[in-house]
Amino acid sequence: MSSTEILALREQYGTSDQQREVSTIGMWIFLATEVMFFGGLFAGFAIYRMYYTQGFMEGSAEMEIILGSVNTAVLITSSLTMALSVYNISIGKQFRTYLLLLTTAVLGLVFLGIKFTEYYLHYQHHKVPGIWFESSSPHSGAIELFFVYYFCMTGLHALHMIIGISIVCVFAIRTALGRFNARYHTPISILGLYWHFVDIVWVFLFGIFYISGLHR
Amino acid sequence: MPEATVSPRIYFLTYAALLCLTLGTVLIGYLDLGWFSMFVAVAIAAIKATLIAAFFMHALYEKVVIRLLIGGALLWFLILITLTMCDYITRSWLPVPGK
Repeated sequence: MSSTEILALREQYGTSDQQREVSTIGMWIFLATEVMFFGGLFAGFAIYRMYYTQGFMEGSAEMEIILGSVNTAVLITSSLTMALSVYNISIGKQFRTYLLLLTTAVLGLVFLGIKFTEYYLHYQHHKVPGIWFESSSPHSGAIELFFVYYFCMTGLHALHMIIGISIVCVFAIRTALGRFNARYHTPISILGLYWHFVDIVWVFLFGIFYISGLHR
Repeated sequence: MPEATVSPRIYFLTYAALLCLTLGTVLIGYLDLGWFSMFVAVAIAAIKATLIAAFFMHALYEKVVIRLLIGGALLWFLILITLTMCDYITRSWLPVPGK
């Protein structure tokens, strides 16, 4: 048994498979709480969307669809590189895993860059509630409410991205240091679950904010 | 049960499907479907989420306990959403004295 494995297998577990399963279940429970966390905001959005349909459609028409679509593609690509990282470490390819994790982090940063560019454009168009909001529409109150949800939900998502990118960077370094191998790489699998979950949240955000007002 | 390894081919297929669905959701978005547009947007997002969870997150290959956990979380979320919406949707149905 190598030193990595002795360190890796905690004494309360019988086997490394059992340890991995417990960690995986723990992460899924955490993700279930995240569903509740974002779920409240989605429910609030759905209710106001129902009450102020016209205003929310007009708000959605203000979205930057090209930037949003590119951003979705960027995030899906980062999910692919993350999934490939998990695959490569599971067959013991440490250097390739290191490169893929770095790619994932860079794609995450590109996503945030595009997202903040969008925020800047909304600011220029005077669509930031509480700071600078102007609208000549008869539904301006509802549009403002739409943007409150937009900034809260995408902001919360961006916070998850920042946390994710930080952890991906730390794990890239740890992979380069040889801490993970084909037999012990649970932390990378668990990080993958988190990363893909954040991707799923974005997929829904993209659907509700960008798509519903496109035809206007 | 040892960890399932999913072949990269599956990952690339999932990736291609996700990109196609993203393109599809944008193109459908340009059609004027009225209230149905939000339904379509969320339905396509749900399909994409299922693909990500099943293949990228290995949910399809995990033990029953993990799949139960995922199902339980979704079920609970749907109960909360349904009951909340039942309230808000039906509020205007009956006159409230004094309102």
